[in-house]
Amino acid sequence: MVQAKAQRDSSPLLAVRNLRTSFQVEGRWTRVLNDVSFEIGNRQTLAVVGESGSGKSVTAMSIMRLLPPATSRIEGEVLFGGRDLLKLPSEEMRRIRGGDIAMIFQETSLNPVYTIGFHMVETLRQHRNLSAAEARREAVALLDKVRIPSAASRLDDYAHQFSGGMRQRVMIAIALACNPKLLIADEPTTALDVTIQAQILQTLRDLQAEEEMSILFITHDMGVVAEMSDRTIVMYHGDAVEEGETRQIFAAPRAPYTRSLLAAVPRLGEMAESPGPSRFPVIDRATGAVVAPAASGSVPDGSAPIILQVEDLVTRFDIHGGALGGLTGRVHAVEKVSFDIREGETLSLVGESGCGKSTTGRTIMGLTSPNSGSVRMEGREVGSLGRRELRMTRRRMQMIFQDPVSSLNARMTVGTAIAEPFLVHKLGGKAQARDKVADLLERVGLRPDMANRYPHEFSGGQRQRISLARALILDPKLIIADESVSALDVSVKAQVINLMLDLQSQLKLSYLFISHDMAVVERVSHRVAVMYLGEIVEIGARAAIFGNPQHPYTRKLLSAVPVADPYQRGQRRIEVSELKSPVRAVDFVPPNREYREVSAGHWVQLADN
Amino acid sequence: MTPVPDQPPTPTAGPIGGPIGGATRGPWVRVARDFARSPLAMTALVVLALVVLAAVFAPLLTPQNPYDLMQLDIMDGMLEPGSPSAAGGYTYLLGTDDQGRDLFSAILYGLRISLSVGVVSALVAALVGASLGLFAAYVGGRTETAIMRIVDLQLSFPSILVALMILAFLGKGVQNVVLALIIVEWASYARTARGTALVESRREYIQAADCLGVPMRRIIFRHLLPNCLPPLIVMGTIQVGRAISLEATLSFLGLGVPVTEPSLGLLISNGYQYLLSGQYWLSFYPGIALLVTIVAINLVGDQFRDVFNPKGRG
Repeated sequence: MVQAKAQRDSSPLLAVRNLRTSFQVEGRWTRVLNDVSFEIGNRQTLAVVGESGSGKSVTAMSIMRLLPPATSRIEGEVLFGGRDLLKLPSEEMRRIRGGDIAMIFQETSLNPVYTIGFHMVETLRQHRNLSAAEARREAVALLDKVRIPSAASRLDDYAHQFSGGMRQRVMIAIALACNPKLLIADEPTTALDVTIQAQILQTLRDLQAEEEMSILFITHDMGVVAEMSDRTIVMYHGDAVEEGETRQIFAAPRAPYTRSLLAAVPRLGEMAESPGPSRFPVIDRATGAVVAPAASGSVPDGSAPIILQVEDLVTRFDIHGGALGGLTGRVHAVEKVSFDIREGETLSLVGESGCGKSTTGRTIMGLTSPNSGSVRMEGREVGSLGRRELRMTRRRMQMIFQDPVSSLNARMTVGTAIAEPFLVHKLGGKAQARDKVADLLERVGLRPDMANRYPHEFSGGQRQRISLARALILDPKLIIADESVSALDVSVKAQVINLMLDLQSQLKLSYLFISHDMAVVERVSHRVAVMYLGEIVEIGARAAIFGNPQHPYTRKLLSAVPVADPYQRGQRRIEVSELKSPVRAVDFVPPNREYREVSAGHWVQLADN
Repeated sequence: MTPVPDQPPTPTAGPIGGPIGGATRGPWVRVARDFARSPLAMTALVVLALVVLAAVFAPLLTPQNPYDLMQLDIMDGMLEPGSPSAAGGYTYLLGTDDQGRDLFSAILYGLRISLSVGVVSALVAALVGASLGLFAAYVGGRTETAIMRIVDLQLSFPSILVALMILAFLGKGVQNVVLALIIVEWASYARTARGTALVESRREYIQAADCLGVPMRRIIFRHLLPNCLPPLIVMGTIQVGRAISLEATLSFLGLGVPVTEPSLGLLISNGYQYLLSGQYWLSFYPGIALLVTIVAINLVGDQFRDVFNPKGRG
C-alpha cells in the first residue's frame, strides 16, 4: 500500500522550486535557505528533518508567506495547484491559509478565554459560510474525527480543561475544518509525552487516509520521520542535503551529513547484545567517514560499593485552595521509591510528565524535602545531616539540569562559574582553581582559554559540557542528570552522552539518569527503573527491562517509542488514553505495593488486587 | 510549592543559528550601544551630564558664594536678570533675590543640594530595599511574607505624607530629608527586586549554585543581584528624579532643607510670594532648572527601560 501511495501522481500538489529565503539581521541580508526544491504528491507525506537552525521551519513559513516582509526576502517558486503562492495578492493568500493549506504547530494556539467550540465555530463560519447550528454540528463531527472521546459534551470546555495531547487534537480538528489539501505540521508532537505522541501520529496517519490530504511534516526526530513519511528531505544549514524515499534514506543514506545524523540516533532494541552502555559512533559530517566506531562503556562488577541508597522515599506537595486556602489535595509526586546505585553504574529513571522522576532527583539532591524515607550517600544519611555536613555531602553528588541556557549565570564568565564551588568550599587557592578549571575544560572537550568567555558565546551542547565541568570540580561520586540531554539536537546529544560515558569510565562516576527518552536510556544505562504516578513499577537490569518487560505500563511505554526504522512502521496500535494525574484527595492512603522478582534483580510491581 | 513538571524537549526553531546581536564583550557593551540609538536619550544624557558638572563645579562657575553672607550686597536686592552689580565686576545673569543674592549662583548651589539629596537617598534606599527584596524572594516562607507585608504597608501611605510626618518628628536638615526619603523609597525597590528575583531564583543556575553548596549570601549577591539589576537600574534612575522632586516639595512646604542652604525647592518657595508682583525670575529660573534636571533624568531612565526590556527591541 505504501508503495502504491508513494507513486506520485502526474502533477504534484505542491512544487517548491529553488526556494531562497534571506533575513535582514542588523542591516545585512543573511541567506537562511539555499535553493531548496521539492514536491509533494497527492496523499503523500513529506518529512522535512534537521537540527535546530537548519531552516526546516523557515521552509514552511516561506511557503505560507508568514515571515515578516520588512525583514525577510523569499525568492523562487512555490507552485500549489498550478499557482505560484509567492506571487499571489495577500488577500488571496489569506484565503489559502486555513483553507487549502492548514497548519499545526508545536504550541497550541487556543485563546484561553474562549471555549473550544467557539474557536471551531468561528473558523467554520468564516471559511465555510455555515449557520451557527450547522457549524456546531460540524464541530462535533470534527472532534469525533480526531478521536476526542465524547466530543459533543466537550465543545463548551475551555482549553485549560484539555490535556496537551487533546489540545493538539483540537488544533488538528480546526485545521481540518476547511478540508485542506495540504496540512503543514511543524513539530506537532515535540512537546508531548511519548505515549501521547504515538496516539497523535496514529491519528494523523488515519486522517490522512480518510481525508485524502498531503502532509508536510517538520520534525527533528528521525524516529517520527520513520513512522510518518513517504519521502524525506534532510536539511542542514539551509541546504537540502538529501532528498528521497524515506526507506531509501534510512537504508542507504548518501549524504555524509545524513549518515552522521543517523549514526547519532539511538534505535530501540539495538542494544540487546551489549552488556553495558555504548558510545555512539562518531561520523565526520563533511566526509561521512567513521572517525570513532561505537564502543562499549564500562560495566561495574557486582562487588563495586554502593554509592547511593534510597529507601521508601516519599515526597508530596500540598495543594491549597478555596476561600480560606485550606488543604484541598496532595500531589503524590514520589511514593515509596527505593533503589540503590553502585560505583560506576548508571541507573535511569524513566517515565512521562508528572511521574515524579524529576522530583525524585531533586529530593535526593536536597532541593526538595521528603515527607519520609531515607537517602544514604556513601552510607551517610543525608536527611539527618546539619547544614555544614549537608554541604560536605553535596560535594559528593551533583546535578546537571535540562536547560542549557538557564543553568549558567549569564553574568559570570564560565571560568568563574566553574571555579566558584572550588573556592567557596575552600579546596584551594585561586591559582589552583585556575589550573583545575583549565584541566576540566579540556576534559569536557573545550579549550582552556574559553574560561574568559560568557555563557551566551557557547552553543547548547557546549553549555552542557560547561555544566558538567562545573559539577566535576568538586570530584563528586554521583551525578544526577535531570533530562540533561533532552533539549539538545540529536548529534550534539550523542556527543554529550559519549562524553558522559567517557567520564564514567575514567572517574568511576555513578549516574542517576533521569529521562523520558527510552532510546537514549537504553543506550546509556546499566539498570533502569520505570516510574508511573510517583511509584517505581519495574526496576531491573537494562537488558531485562527492554528485553522482557513485565509491567503493562513498561510495555506501553516501549511500544509508543517511535522507532527510527521505516520497516517497523504501523505494527502496533495504542488506544487513545490520557496520562493520569498524581493529585489525590487529602485522606488518600496509598495502597501497599508488592513486588515480584522476575529474575535476579528484576522486580515488577504486582497489580492492585 | 508545586512540583516541577518534566518537560519534553522544546528545540528552538530559531531561524538563525547563533546568538542574535553577536555581542562578545559581555552584556554591558550591548546596553551602551542600544542606549546610544536614541538621539533624544543621548541629548538627555548630555544635558544631565552638564547639569551634574555645573553642580559639582559650582564654586568655579559662580560669581559669588550664595551661602556666604559677607559676599551679598543688600543694595543689589531684587535686580532683574542681566543687571550689573552695584560694586561692578559682574552681571547678575538671572537677577537677584531680596537679600541681593545672585540667583544663578543660588541655583547652581541649590542643584548641588537637590542632586546629592536625590542620589544619596536613591542609592541607600536601593541598597536597603533591593537587599531585603532579594533576601525575601530567595528565602521565602514567613520571612518573605513579613518583609513584603511591611512593604505593602509602607506603599499604602502617600509618600509625601510619610515624609512630612518623619520630618515633623525629626526636624529640618539635609540629613533628615535624606533619611525621610530613604524611608519613603526603600519599599518600592524591595517590591521590584523581589518580583524579579522570584523569577530568577526558579532558574536552574540558582538551583545549580544551591547544589554546589554556594553560601546564601553569595548566591544573593553574586548570582541573584547581577541578574536582577536591569529593572533596579531603571527604577533607580527614575527614583532619583522622584526624590529630587519630593525634596523640592518638602522644601517648598518649609519642612525640607534649612533656609541657610536653599535647595531648588526652597528657592522656588522663597520666590513664590513675589511671583505675581513682577519679580517672576525668583521662582521661574529655579523651576526651570528643576524641570530640566528631572526631565533629563526621566528620559535617561525611560531609555534604560527600553534597552533592558527585550520585548521592546526590534
